[in-house]
Amino acid sequence: MSLHLIYFFQSSQNQNESWTPARYKVVHFFGDEGFIPDTKLSELAKSDPHADFSDLTFLSLDDLKSFANRVAEDMGSDSVRLLSVQDYNIGLDGARDRRELKEIFVKFGETVETATPSKKKGLFGKLFS
Amino acid sequence: MSAKSLVHPGEQWFFYWKTSAALWESQILELPRDEVVFLPLNWGFHAENNDQWDFGEILPERDLFRLASLLTQHNRKFTWLIPLTPSPFLPNGGIPVTTARTLSLSPSGTHLACLDHEGRLHKMFSWYEPKVFQAWAGFLAAFGTYIAKRKIKAPVWGAQFFYKEGNDLVSFLTDSSVAFEQGFSRYLRKSHPEGIEISEPSKEAVLKQDFAREVNELFKVTAEAALGPFWVGSQEICVLGSGPRDTLERGLTSGRTQLDFFQDIFELFTKNIWVSSSLLTHDEKKDLLPKALINHFGQTAAEEKYHYRMHQGEIGEDWRPYSVVDVVSSRDDAWEKNGLFPFLESNLRWLYGVHKEIPFTTEAIENSSHKIKFFHGSTLDRTAFGQMLKLFMMGQRVVLDKSGLTPELEKRLQVFFIENNLKLQNVNYLTAINLTELGDGKFITFEGDSLAGKDTKEFWKNIFRFIRMTLPEVIMDREVFGLWNIRATGNSDLNYLDVRRINLYNPTSYKKSVTIRTHKHFAFMKMVDPERAQTKSTPDGVQIELLPNGTVALDFGHFEEN
Repeated sequence: MSLHLIYFFQSSQNQNESWTPARYKVVHFFGDEGFIPDTKLSELAKSDPHADFSDLTFLSLDDLKSFANRVAEDMGSDSVRLLSVQDYNIGLDGARDRRELKEIFVKFGETVETATPSKKKGLFGKLFS
Repeated sequence: MSAKSLVHPGEQWFFYWKTSAALWESQILELPRDEVVFLPLNWGFHAENNDQWDFGEILPERDLFRLASLLTQHNRKFTWLIPLTPSPFLPNGGIPVTTARTLSLSPSGTHLACLDHEGRLHKMFSWYEPKVFQAWAGFLAAFGTYIAKRKIKAPVWGAQFFYKEGNDLVSFLTDSSVAFEQGFSRYLRKSHPEGIEISEPSKEAVLKQDFAREVNELFKVTAEAALGPFWVGSQEICVLGSGPRDTLERGLTSGRTQLDFFQDIFELFTKNIWVSSSLLTHDEKKDLLPKALINHFGQTAAEEKYHYRMHQGEIGEDWRPYSVVDVVSSRDDAWEKNGLFPFLESNLRWLYGVHKEIPFTTEAIENSSHKIKFFHGSTLDRTAFGQMLKLFMMGQRVVLDKSGLTPELEKRLQVFFIENNLKLQNVNYLTAINLTELGDGKFITFEGDSLAGKDTKEFWKNIFRFIRMTLPEVIMDREVFGLWNIRATGNSDLNYLDVRRINLYNPTSYKKSVTIRTHKHFAFMKMVDPERAQTKSTPDGVQIELLPNGTVALDFGHFEEN
C-alpha cells in the first residue's frame, strides 16, 4: 500500500514588520483506501517541535519528509509519494479521465521510502472501517 | 453506462448534448409525464466562433427550438438552467474552447477539476478572464433573442454551482488564479482611483471577497437583464462529488462512500441548498442514495424550489417537509460559538433549517408559524428587525441574539417593549436573558457573545423548555439519517391534529438501532416501505432495526397537546 501527500510551498513573507518564514503545508494526505483523518495527522505532527500541527505546516522539506515517514510507519506503508501542488497541477492539466488522474501519483513527485516499515498491517483499513 | 443515465444524470436534468438529436424524442418519452424537465445550457457547446452562436443551423444537437417543441408536443413542463458560474459537469466548466485560457485555482492552490458521471475529468477555467465574460454575455444576448423570436415560453433560472469542502460551501467562481489577481488589480484601480495601501493580509482578503461578490452579482444582473421576460431567479446548487478533495477521493480505488454522500445531502438539506447528483457514476449512485434523493430532492421538492407550486399556509393531504426551527445565518460563526448549532445537531438533528433571510410573505409566514425563529443582531437591518417584531406580535416564537445589534435597533427594541407594555422577565444564567410573552407569542433576547467558550448545553435546554415543543424523541446513531414530513389527517385517519412521517436510512454496512419515544403525544400508526428493516412497538414508542442499506418510513398520529 502506498501513500500520497500533496503539499503547498509558501515562500517567506515580510509584511508590516512581521516576518513569516517559508513553510510547507500539507494539502492532501491519502492512500488507496481514502484520506487519513486530520486528527491523526495533527497527532503525528506534534512530535516536530517546529511544526504548526493544527495547520499541518513545516519549516523545511526535510521536516515534511520526516513527517511523511512517521505517518507511513504508523500506517504500515512502505513509501510515501510527495507531490508539490505545482507537480499535481501539471499532471492534472494533462489528465483526461479517472485512470489518468490516478497515474499522476505514479508519474510525478518524489518517493520517500519508509526506513522501518511497521508490521502493523491492516491498520489503514481499521481507520476507515 | 446506459444512454438513459448519460442523458438523465439525476434530479430530472436532461443533458441534450449527450445524445444525437435524432434520439431526443425517445429519451423524452422515457421521462415521467408529470415531472418538470430541467435543461442545463451547455453554452460553450453552442459556440461556432468568437461571436457566432449556433442553435441548430449548423448542428442538429444545438437545435433548442426543436428540443423545446418536442417537450411541448409531449406535454412536458421544462425549465432552462443558465450557468452563472463554471459548471462542473461541462468540459472546461462550460467555457467555449477558444475562450478557455486560465485554469481556475482552488483556495489550496490546486487546479479545479471534476470527474463526471462517465469518469471524464473536466477542468474548470477562470471566469475572471474578461474574454469569458464577453463570450458569456454574447451567448446570453443570442439565446435571449432566439427564445423570444421562436416564442419558447419556458422559464429561465440562473444556476450558481457550489462544491462542499469540509464544512464550507464554496462557489465555483472562487478562484485565486492569475486571471483573478489581474481582475482584482483592475477592480482596485477602478474602485480606488486615488490609490489604496493594503498593509494587512486580512484587509486584502476582505477586498478580494468584495470583488468576488461584485463579480458574482454582475453575472446575475447581466443574465436578468438579457433574459428579462423569461428570467425567474437564481438557485444555489451544490454538485455532489465536485470539490477538489472529492475529485481525488473519487479517483481512488475505494472511492467516496455512500455515507459521505449522505452526510453531504442531509447537511445541504438543512442549509436549504439544492443538490445535483449529475456527476455521480452508476456505482456511486446505488443502494439507498437514489431513494433518499428522490424522497427529498425529487419531483415535489423540485416543483417547490422552482416555484411550480407554493405551499399553502395550512398543511394539506400531501406530505411536506417538517422542521421546527428556522435560523437566520449570522456573521463569523456566531451560532456555532454561542452553542446553538451544536445543541441543534445533538437534539434536533435535521429538524432545523439555516436561511440567509426569512421570506416575509403571507404564505411563508403561515407555512412556518409553528417554527421557532432565531435572529442574530449582526445581520439585522431596520426592515428585518421590524419583520422580526411583527412575527412575535403575530403569536410566533422568536429568539434574538442581541450581539452586534446596532445602538439604533437596541433603542427601538426598548421602545417596543415600553410601547406594548410588555412584562419582561430578566434572568441571568451564563448571560443576560430577557423573556416576554404576548398571547401565543414568545420573545427571548440574550447576549450571545458572553456565551463563547462556555458549556451552553443547559442554557439552550432551558431556552427550549421555555419555548415548549412537542416532538417524538428520536435516539439514533450519528450514521443513521432521518427526515420528517407532515400532512393533515385524511378521512381514513383517526382524529389526530396531524400526521408525521420519518424516513430513516442506514447507509452504512453495519446493523443500526433507532428508538423513537412518543411521549404520550404521538401514536405509532404504521410502517411504510420497509427494506432490510424491522420495527417493534414498545410501551414508550417504537424500536427499529435497520440492516446495512436498510430504510423504512414510520407514521405517527399527533394528539391534542396539554
